[in-house]
Amino acid sequence: MCVLCSGFVVQEHWTDARRHRQQDGSTVTVGGSESRDRRRERWMRMKLANAVLQVCGLKLDDWNGSKYILRDVKGAAEIVQDWGELWPAVQKLLRRPLDPLDADFLARLKAAGRRS
Amino acid sequence: MRGSDLAMHGNGKIPVTVLSGFLGSGKTSLLGKALRQGMLRNTAVIVNEFGKIGLDHHLLSRVEERTVLLGGGCVCCSTREDLVAAFLELLHKASHDGRRPDRVVIETTGLADPSPIWFTVLRHPVLQHHFDVGRIVVTVDAVNGLMHLDRHAESIKQAAVADLIVLTKTDIASEAAIRRLESRLRAINPAAEMIRAKPDDPEVSGIFSDRAIRPSSRAALEPYAAVSASPHSGGTRSLSVRFDRPLDWNAFGLWLSMLLHARGVDILRVKGHLDLGGDGPVLLNGVQHIIHPPEHLDAWPNEERCSKIVFIMNEIEPERVMDSLIAFQHVLGAAPERLANAEFEC
Repeated sequence: MCVLCSGFVVQEHWTDARRHRQQDGSTVTVGGSESRDRRRERWMRMKLANAVLQVCGLKLDDWNGSKYILRDVKGAAEIVQDWGELWPAVQKLLRRPLDPLDADFLARLKAAGRRS
Repeated sequence: MRGSDLAMHGNGKIPVTVLSGFLGSGKTSLLGKALRQGMLRNTAVIVNEFGKIGLDHHLLSRVEERTVLLGGGCVCCSTREDLVAAFLELLHKASHDGRRPDRVVIETTGLADPSPIWFTVLRHPVLQHHFDVGRIVVTVDAVNGLMHLDRHAESIKQAAVADLIVLTKTDIASEAAIRRLESRLRAINPAAEMIRAKPDDPEVSGIFSDRAIRPSSRAALEPYAAVSASPHSGGTRSLSVRFDRPLDWNAFGLWLSMLLHARGVDILRVKGHLDLGGDGPVLLNGVQHIIHPPEHLDAWPNEERCSKIVFIMNEIEPERVMDSLIAFQHVLGAAPERLANAEFEC
């Protein structure tokens, strides 16, 4: 991953592979695989979050593997670093907190779950 | 839950034990007794008030409670500036004379809320690297405890957030009264361990160290699941949940972070161990908005592998949390099952 722009390198070039000595003395070859795992994890998280956020008309997108962008249908957007920032951003766009105990929200979530 | 107390400080940080309890419930007597036993020699003690019973300890410091509310304005997410100063001084002394305390015990005032202490230790940019929150120990007076619970919301909150409840003055209360109080406390907080402090108990310093302690016999308690909905527990409700299969960590984190953002003030405590399909459980421990960094254990303590979580809440009906978990089950990857609170220990 580029330390300046946080851009991911998807294709691992042969010059990136290096052998590292581990604590137990064995060696391991590392390359861009960690970056791919992290990218997969972020993608999974985004998919989960969108399964919930779509119910209230919001969508989360990845920005270059380093930030998330939360958007509503009218085009308003918030930059989100992690899930500590996600819910305050959702509250800002919806103008109310998204409450997982709210019966209407749960009914819509269940309906969305059945559709998918 | 006993494993969580033991596992929490494997990170080389100094554990901080919070000692709380209503006015006159015997906090200082308990601490004084423990300090005299000598096992806590290298323990730093921070008190809010010196009180009538003089504590004699070489690492004693006194602070004047100063709470700084942060932007959000919620009480649990506030920094205790007085504690920050006291902790930084401890670190300064430790770096000067090389004597690092083994643990810190904070004795709060009788009306103090323990959650800002968690926030201060876990979120302060310096302190979070040197200190870790340990047990919240709460003393309850066996003679007047029921009356305090009836009359003072602070007393209920203290019991609700406790990891360990120590019943004091049990030698001058009747057995029946102690049993009633124990049932009541169990209804408020099914996740806490409960012990009776006996006069001259040689084990009393164990309360403040990280050793496991002997809880009162659970079998001896009256059934408290039925009591939990009673109006006598104030607005405090609890819910114990088990999941039928391993949880998706990302999905659970999504749900819990959303719940805590919307309702964190009223989620007094969340505790549990989660089966995420790995070699060992993940220990979950939170007070209001603040979740302790989850501890990933290498192995399960026994054969049974399951996720169990207890929520202790203020003015939130447990059924609503169950409804939410059921609605989220396709996201979470596992269906919840409500447990009687007595079944909480795995």
